[in-house]
This record gives sequence, C-alpha cells and structure tokens, in this order.
Amino acid sequence: MKKSSAFIMVVPGLVILAICLFLPLLRVLVPTFYTGDYLFSAYADFFKDSYYLKIFVRTVKVAVITTIVCMAAGVPTAYFISRCDKKWRGILLSVSIFPMMTNSVIRSFAWINILGSNGIVNRFLMMSGLVDKPVKLLYTDFAIIIGSVYLFLPLMIVTVAGVMENIGDDMMEAALSLGADRLKAFMKVIFPMSLPGIIVGGILVFTGTLTAYTTPQLLGGNKNMVLATFIYQRAMSVGDWNGAAVISLIMIVVTLAVIKGFNALAARLDKRGGDHA
Amino acid sequence: MAFMTLQDIDVRYDKKKQILKGLNLEVKEGELVSLLGPSGCGKTTTLRVVAGFIEPENGVFALDGEDLTKVPVHKRNFGIVFQSYALFPHLSVYDNVAFGLKMRKLSKAEVDKKVKNILEICGLTEFSVRFPQQMSGGQRQRVALARALVIEPKLLLLDEPLSNLDAKLRINMRVEIKRIQKQLGITTLFVTHDQEECFSISDKVAVMNQGVIEQFDTPETIYHRPKTEFVARFIGFENFLPLNKHGDVYKSEAGAVFTVEGASGEDSLMGTIRPEDIRVAEEGQTKNILTGTIGVRTFLGKTYQYEVETEAGKFLVNRPADESYEEGSTLRLYLPETKLILVKR
Repeated sequence: MKKSSAFIMVVPGLVILAICLFLPLLRVLVPTFYTGDYLFSAYADFFKDSYYLKIFVRTVKVAVITTIVCMAAGVPTAYFISRCDKKWRGILLSVSIFPMMTNSVIRSFAWINILGSNGIVNRFLMMSGLVDKPVKLLYTDFAIIIGSVYLFLPLMIVTVAGVMENIGDDMMEAALSLGADRLKAFMKVIFPMSLPGIIVGGILVFTGTLTAYTTPQLLGGNKNMVLATFIYQRAMSVGDWNGAAVISLIMIVVTLAVIKGFNALAARLDKRGGDHA
Repeated sequence: MAFMTLQDIDVRYDKKKQILKGLNLEVKEGELVSLLGPSGCGKTTTLRVVAGFIEPENGVFALDGEDLTKVPVHKRNFGIVFQSYALFPHLSVYDNVAFGLKMRKLSKAEVDKKVKNILEICGLTEFSVRFPQQMSGGQRQRVALARALVIEPKLLLLDEPLSNLDAKLRINMRVEIKRIQKQLGITTLFVTHDQEECFSISDKVAVMNQGVIEQFDTPETIYHRPKTEFVARFIGFENFLPLNKHGDVYKSEAGAVFTVEGASGEDSLMGTIRPEDIRVAEEGQTKNILTGTIGVRTFLGKTYQYEVETEAGKFLVNRPADESYEEGSTLRLYLPETKLILVKR
C-alpha cells in the first residue's frame, strides 16, 4: 500500500480527535492565557499561591512515591511470574490483575474500612496495646499512596512481566557462570534488559496516579486535595471554570514532561545500537 | 590421573523420569572430550550437572581432587558457551567479555588488558564497540567463546555451540575452537549430536544413550571399533547380523560360517559392517559369505547403494559406480574379517 493511501485510513480517527478533543481543549485552554493582568498571569498566580503550590507538590509527591513503590514491588514480582511455567504464569497474572476487575470506588471503600480510625489496622494496634488511641491513617497522603499503589501495581506487574517473559533463562545462567550471584545477575543483566518495560510501566503508573480522581477523593478527603480533585472543586463547587482549566493545562504539561523525561532516560540507559533484535 | 570426574551421577526430572543413570566419566587435564548422542540421551543434562545448574540426586562431581557437587554455579569458575550464545544484548562486545572480570573485581587496567588479549585471540579486536544484534552468527559465537575464556576458567563447557551456524562456518569454527582450546590448554567438555563435528574436534568421545555412557574412547576407536550395537548404529554401521560362537568360528542363524578378527569371549553377539566395507565374493570363496537378492539400487555419485535382501535381513552395500549390478539379480556378499566388527547385542 502506498503511503498516501495509508494516510487516508487515519483520517476518520483524526477527524474525531480534532472535533472531540483538540478543538474543545483549545476552546477551554486558550482563554486562560489571556486572563489576568498579562499573558499567562493566571499561571504565574497559581505558582505564587502557597495553597495551590502545596496541592501541586502533594500531587507530584504522591505520584513519584507511588511510581517508586510500584517499581520496587512490581519488578521482583514480575520476574518471579515470568520464571514460572506457562500454566502458573497465566494463573498468577490473572490473580495480579484481579484488583482491576472491581470498581475504583469500591476498592477505595475497602481501604477506608482498613485504614479508618475504627478500621482493621487501628483495631489491631489498639488490641495489641501498641497505641492508646487510633492513629490517623485515613485522609492522609499515606492513604492516597496506599490506594494508588493498590490501584496501579497490577499495571506495572503486567507490563514488566510481558517484557521479562521474553528474556531466556540462559541470560541468568550466563551471568551466573561468569561469577555473578543471583542478585548481581538480576541487577546487571535482567534489570537493564527489562528497562523498556519498567519505563512503560512507570509512565502508566505515574500518569495514572497524577490524574486519578476517585482514590484521592475518597482516601485523601477534602483537606488533602490533589490536582484532579482540586479541578473538580474549582469547577463544580466554586464555579471557577477558568481556574480549573489552568490546573488542567498544568497537569497536561507535567504529564508530557514526565513521559518525555522517562523516554530520554530510556534512550540514555539503552545504548545498544540501531537495529534491535 | 583424572582431572575431572563424574561418579555414579543420578538425575531425575520431576522425581519421575530418570535422565542420568549412574553416569561415570573421567577426563584428563587439557583434553577436549565430546558428549555425543541423540536428543534426549542426557548429554546436555550431564553438561548442566558439571556447570552446576542441576544438582544430581546421587553421585559426585569432582575437579582436580575437589568435590564440587554442591558448589553453586557462580563459584565454580567454569566458562560456558550456550547454544543460543546468551550474549547480553544491552552490553557491547567489550562489556560482554569484561562482565566476568568485573564480577571478580579486577582493576580497570587488568580488565582492559585481559579483554583486549582475548579479543585478539578470538579475532574480535575490531568489533569491540559493536552490540550483539549488529553481528553475524559466527561473530556472536566468537564473542560467546571469548566471554567464557577470558575468566581463565578451570573448565570450558560448550553446549552445541555450532548448531546455529551454516555448514561452511561450522567447519571453520570447529577448527577455530580446537585451535584456541589447544593454545590455552583448557580442559573442555563439548556437547553435540553431530558425529562428524564431534570426531573432528575431540581427543576423546563419550557416546551416550538413555542416560549412560555406552562407550568412551578416541574418535578413531569409536569409528572403527564400536563396542555396542547402539554406538555402531549411531556412527553409521548399517548392517547387523546376529552371530553365535561355535568353537573358533561364528555362525549366523541361517548357519553361514564367519571368522572375525579380534574375536571376544562372549557367545552371542551382533556382527556389524559399514556399507562401504562389504565386497562382492569371488568364485570359490566360502567363508564370511551372505547371499541375497538386490532390491533397490540408489545412485550416490561415486557409488551405487544396493539394498540386498539376505537370509539375515536387509543389508546395505555400497559398490563403485563402475561395477553395477541390476535390480533383482542375486549377489554373493563377502564380509571381510578385518571389517566385520562384533558388538554387544
């Protein structure tokens, strides 16, 4: 097929995207550039306001920590799953994506039951006499992070396991035969070979956490707002659509910047030459 | 004295199927020993026991008088070349080769010296900055060999290293492997299912069948004097004739009389001979004769191959193309006593 005729096939998709995404986006975002005293002053104001800034920092912090935790927990799990035989691999992968099969509201409610002041964790702590009164777990950043990890860990595991499945046992064996113990062999061979998957998983988890609404709303409460819940509040409670649009653009820029950063990192770490096997 | 010994090694797969059954093997220092056999005979398993990837249920693996049966892979200091080469795709040729040295915490200068030296020996100097994906099969093979050799291993283990190469390259590489092996004087275990490859490269050959070594000898002895029917069949003896001892001579089941050079003590044996060693009997010859009818005649270039239906079953006979015989005619075959081999049934 010629390139020009192939192009025709993407036209319907492009038209739909243009009408339903790009145009509305421009319609919402462009006016925000001109509000206030000078060009982009709405954005400057955002970062000057300490309350706004705090929400921004919290959002990025939650996303960064969630991503790191998901990597730390997901990569070894994915490796374990990838080394199982075919039958077990299927079972374990289904089990690990099981949390994704329930609604995120329900999942968050489960965590409210666990982390609440009368929840399982606190009751256990009180019963064992470790604390006198309930520890505040719910409606904290910690609760948002726990909920987000629970929400996005399956994505990390599935993505990384997919890449690791294609790494033969002979790679580990070769490293062992050259004098590396299992941990070293993993860090020096398996980990760098899985980086493409880990990076994709990282992008999915980071952008997912950054933009999640339900989990931070239910587990963080109104005092621990993140950008997504803040947008909702600005638009729906306060009626400040312009302010909501400002925050939206900031989120879009952060997301794109992080994806770009991850990809640059991947390119730097993956030095192997042009034609990949 | 033996440098490497495997003693009464038992390996079972999933606690059921026994793969190695009391396997014994002794290898002298500096020797290149091949493990030869059909797939599923346990040759790769034997190599993996030596490498340390499989711990045997019973038995001892010792090297240089030291029991290594329970020593983990990374402390054995053996060089292994995998069938797939198992080069690290994220590392350049140089870094692949340097990997083992870095694990040993050598200084940068020392690593550099050793890597450059082995790359030179293996003819890879100009490729040091390339990545495995950018190289041909033969070049990757050499990288795998260099990577295994640079750590100055006590043993070199090669698992069908040539099976992924085309025929011409395979011949070049086996000469190359032999050259490097002799140059470094390293004791080597070589697993293969290709008998030509195995005979050309080895000092000694262990022919394996169903988890045991059937015969362990020099390539010449195995080629000319196989000891068992399995070995004979595996290395190209096509014709088999059950023989029973009667005094100084042997008789076939149909009663024909055979004399055999170097006859052994056993009473009931199998006579075997290669197709190219069978002659056509002259008038008046009476000993070592089989009579049969020519079934199918196949042209092989220099020779014709005849499928001769005899009283002892089908015999394959190769005769020069200039003395051709017609299909359906009767042929008296002479099995020379120097070429007729007795093997265990």
